[in-house]
Amino acid sequence: MKMFSVAHKTVFVVDHCPYMAESSRQQVECDVLTKSRAQGVIPLAPVSKSLWTCAVECSMEYCRILYDIYPKDKLVNYIVSDSEFHILNSWRREDQSTHELMSALAAVGPPNPREDPECCSILHGLVAAVESLCKITELQHERRTALMDTAERVANRGRIICLTNAKSDTHVRMLEDCIQETILDQNKLAAGSDRLMAIQQCELVLVHIYPQGEDTLVSDRPKKEISPLLTSEVHSVRAGRHLATKLNILVQQHFDLTSTTITNIPMKEEQHANTSANYDVELLHHRDAHLEFFKSGDLHMAGTSTRENGLKETVTLKWCTPRTNTIELYYCTGAYRISPTDVNSRPSSCLTNFLLNGELLLNHYLSSTLPSIEAVLFLRCLMTFTKVILTQKTKIHLNAVVPLANLIVKETLTEEDVLTCQKTVYNLVDMERKNDPLPISTVGSRGKGPKRDEQYRIMWNELETLVKTHAGATDRHQRVLDCIIACRSKPPEEEERKKRGRKREEREDRTEKNGNKETDDKSWQESERLKGLLDKEDQESEVIKDSPDSPEPLNKKPRLTTEEVQPPERAKGPVSLLTMWTNRITAANSRKHQEFVGRASSVNNKFELYQHLKDENGMDVHENGKASR
Amino acid sequence: MPTVILMDVSLSMTRPVSLDGIEEFQRKNLAVHGLNMLFEHMASNYRLEFTALMAFSSLWELLVPFTRDYNALQEALSSLEDYDKTCVESALNGVNNLVQQEWGSACPCQLQMTDAMDNLEELLRLSGGDGQIFTMDGPLCMKSVQGMFGRLIDYAYSPFHAVLHCGNLSSDVQVFPRPEPVVMDEEVEPMPRTVSADLEIVGFIEIADISSPPVISRHLVLPIAPNKDVDEVGTGATDELEEEPSASQMAGKSPNFCVLLHGSLKVEGMVALVQLGPEWYGMLYSQADSKKKSNLMMSLFEPGPEPLPWLGKISYLGPISEAAENPYGEDDSKSPFPLQPQVKRSYAQNVTVWIKASGLQTDVQKILRNARKLPDKTQTFYKELNRLRKAALAFGFWELLKGVADLLERECTMLPDSAHPDAAFQLSHAAQQLKLASTGDSQYAAFDHNIVPMHTDFSS
Repeated sequence: MKMFSVAHKTVFVVDHCPYMAESSRQQVECDVLTKSRAQGVIPLAPVSKSLWTCAVECSMEYCRILYDIYPKDKLVNYIVSDSEFHILNSWRREDQSTHELMSALAAVGPPNPREDPECCSILHGLVAAVESLCKITELQHERRTALMDTAERVANRGRIICLTNAKSDTHVRMLEDCIQETILDQNKLAAGSDRLMAIQQCELVLVHIYPQGEDTLVSDRPKKEISPLLTSEVHSVRAGRHLATKLNILVQQHFDLTSTTITNIPMKEEQHANTSANYDVELLHHRDAHLEFFKSGDLHMAGTSTRENGLKETVTLKWCTPRTNTIELYYCTGAYRISPTDVNSRPSSCLTNFLLNGELLLNHYLSSTLPSIEAVLFLRCLMTFTKVILTQKTKIHLNAVVPLANLIVKETLTEEDVLTCQKTVYNLVDMERKNDPLPISTVGSRGKGPKRDEQYRIMWNELETLVKTHAGATDRHQRVLDCIIACRSKPPEEEERKKRGRKREEREDRTEKNGNKETDDKSWQESERLKGLLDKEDQESEVIKDSPDSPEPLNKKPRLTTEEVQPPERAKGPVSLLTMWTNRITAANSRKHQEFVGRASSVNNKFELYQHLKDENGMDVHENGKASR
Repeated sequence: MPTVILMDVSLSMTRPVSLDGIEEFQRKNLAVHGLNMLFEHMASNYRLEFTALMAFSSLWELLVPFTRDYNALQEALSSLEDYDKTCVESALNGVNNLVQQEWGSACPCQLQMTDAMDNLEELLRLSGGDGQIFTMDGPLCMKSVQGMFGRLIDYAYSPFHAVLHCGNLSSDVQVFPRPEPVVMDEEVEPMPRTVSADLEIVGFIEIADISSPPVISRHLVLPIAPNKDVDEVGTGATDELEEEPSASQMAGKSPNFCVLLHGSLKVEGMVALVQLGPEWYGMLYSQADSKKKSNLMMSLFEPGPEPLPWLGKISYLGPISEAAENPYGEDDSKSPFPLQPQVKRSYAQNVTVWIKASGLQTDVQKILRNARKLPDKTQTFYKELNRLRKAALAFGFWELLKGVADLLERECTMLPDSAHPDAAFQLSHAAQQLKLASTGDSQYAAFDHNIVPMHTDFSS
């Protein structure tokens, strides 16, 4: 955002005419009786806010968010209009706080319903707003002084947000024309003054507020250019929460904000001190905080969700209790101020207090960095920071299982179905061999968690159970099961001794913790063993191979080539987010259509033709002495 | 910034270059010559740059993955083969894969292509306009190729040499990768800011105080031998290479301030604040890249007088000795940072928001809860009451004031016999004050006015 974009100066013009004293007709029950006291007590009648109250509280919320995120140099001038205009503050920095504005608003009070409506108009305020936009701000003055010869680089733009109850579309047009004329007049005046600046661009945002249950007399209209100096847009909104939502959307649009929801924050319950429940807190901050996610290309998968209004999206991040060292420097690409959307809700205040109380911290920044493994978002305060790990897509690998799961439940399977199932299984084997993480439970543990084998074991067990229940149906079902059992690297006779086998696996897990070298060795052994199994598989499906219609099952060549490409990956240890993503996409694509044999087994997108000639030789050489032969 | 070289190996590159002279070249030879010149320059002046070499025709092939081994790159160049036709799209796709695999998506990358094509400008525009096309001046010949690569080297591979000052101490350093110019606001300050060749250390600060600040870039700071400027233009003539031992070799032989600085920062757990130019700062610190090895690094903050709000204006910082009282306390038990903002943020000041009905209900219930525990909770009761009163007045929500007054009166009638007599007094007093405020009478409805507890004395 430019320093002197329209966002530098915002004028609120709020209608204070008698009709604004009307009720919004949205009732609030503020007398919530507890059960024990309910007998014989007549509850207080619900109260309802006036249109004025709705307008004021929503505009204050707009300012609150704005001041939280831009404590300096995004300025608000608040004007109230009835039979005359009342300017509640100035552009000066010391006037920029919600406390100042609330104090001034209290002095104005609600509109007087008995005032003569004929004398009252929003126009007084709008004219004053244009005059105010011409007034130079401290920042503009400082910059002009600093730039000397090039002072004209300091632009004067601004936005007028008008909260009113308009009579009709014609009325709105009249207001626009009037603003346009005033701008021209004021610009002439400004030309001859040092303390005034001509307006180069003015954005009018007119919000028409009407009570609940009434029909609107004014239609919505997207932004349009009235003149090169003035654009105007009209929002017709019911008072109450609709208005609040609207202004929340506007403040985000106007100041390049976006939303992040921190999920699963554990908080102690007041009533049951021993238990803790998980809460979500939504924060607003500058859009750039998400830049790194967008660059990584998969923000949408990372947990964005469109919310009820359809306009706003929020990125969800999972809370992770801070475990960082204050005497270490961490690489940080950005820090952003935040403002909770629901500032006085209990979860929000718990979170902010937690951060504030660290060491009496008062600056809050949301910063994001993207190490190779996972997106980490720092909710930064000074002494401590809070690491929040991007909630990983949990379904990557589960997706890879889907085609099989869909097919196996069918009563009969075609040869092709069996092939698809086998392919799915091979795919999983491949993932396991490459030691791809199953991200279901990686949240919270960085990099290669020690329990990856465990995850795979669970996955395989579930898969096996699923297929087993259907295996009796046909021979083809049985073949799928056989394939799984074979690929689980457990000979069928070992099936019965599963329990013991599991114990051994656990032991292996422990050894894995002891050293990565062993892990690598193990996975190598495993992959060698798998190779053998796959070859066996190939022989078994020789019949299929002969059929001209069905594609070859994954043959050995591509496996070997991926092998060749992969080692540097593995050597690096943790699998990068990109690799995970690429695998996911590959898995997704492979489900959409039968991959061409050429592409499936290509190396660097190249596929060597007539390789079967070479292949046969190559395989022979390679497999000499292997158990499978 | 790593470099990818994308070499066109299509047949078009084998076209002969028509020269009147004796020798006949193919375009390919010219390109290889230019690249060799570039690699030689990098080997001597820009050795830390990672470079990858990729050949493309209708397909692409990674000849050399990212490396600092310039011999390997030159070797690969010498064994190029010719293929069919040019297809840059797939090659760019290949580059994309390569860069993302190796560096992640957050990494900017320089891309060099070695065959001129018409649609390159369009490509540049599509990629966000950040880039440049170098073409040859004059006819295709060795000389103009050298000229073109010379310009490229000047543009992208000239090393950044600076002098690091700290009081009377100084050291010649190379900053790698080269810090690039920054434009902060194209309207107010269209000229990009560049890092000064004189880096002035302005002070030292605890790591905990600066606390992992956001930075725009990170650079290695490498000492170089003084007065032994390496050839910056990089004409790339091979014979020069042998004569000149690399700058860092020379540096190893003389005592250097960088070594002292690096060691001190590491031991003390501090960073050095460094001025990069007018109102532009960065920090020098020791960064460990393994258990044994660590480097002196420099990170750049966003330009401006106050890049880190929790430190305030950098120019306001000074030595501890200048402070009237040690800001860290005599026993180092406290810290002046983070600075407190002048105006508290909304989440730090218990603001009142009634946009959701629950917000209003909670506030009313809080008052009623405390009302039932009078007089023990007198202070909290009035604190909550005044908070509600202020907000209701600001929002012009007088109806609420009346409503809460009614509620308090009801509570008064429902007080059990065992209640303290003060409770009834306080409740009716509070109710009455709220009613007065709801009339808007300036005497009672002033925003800064607070309802104070009624003075009662039951001690006698």
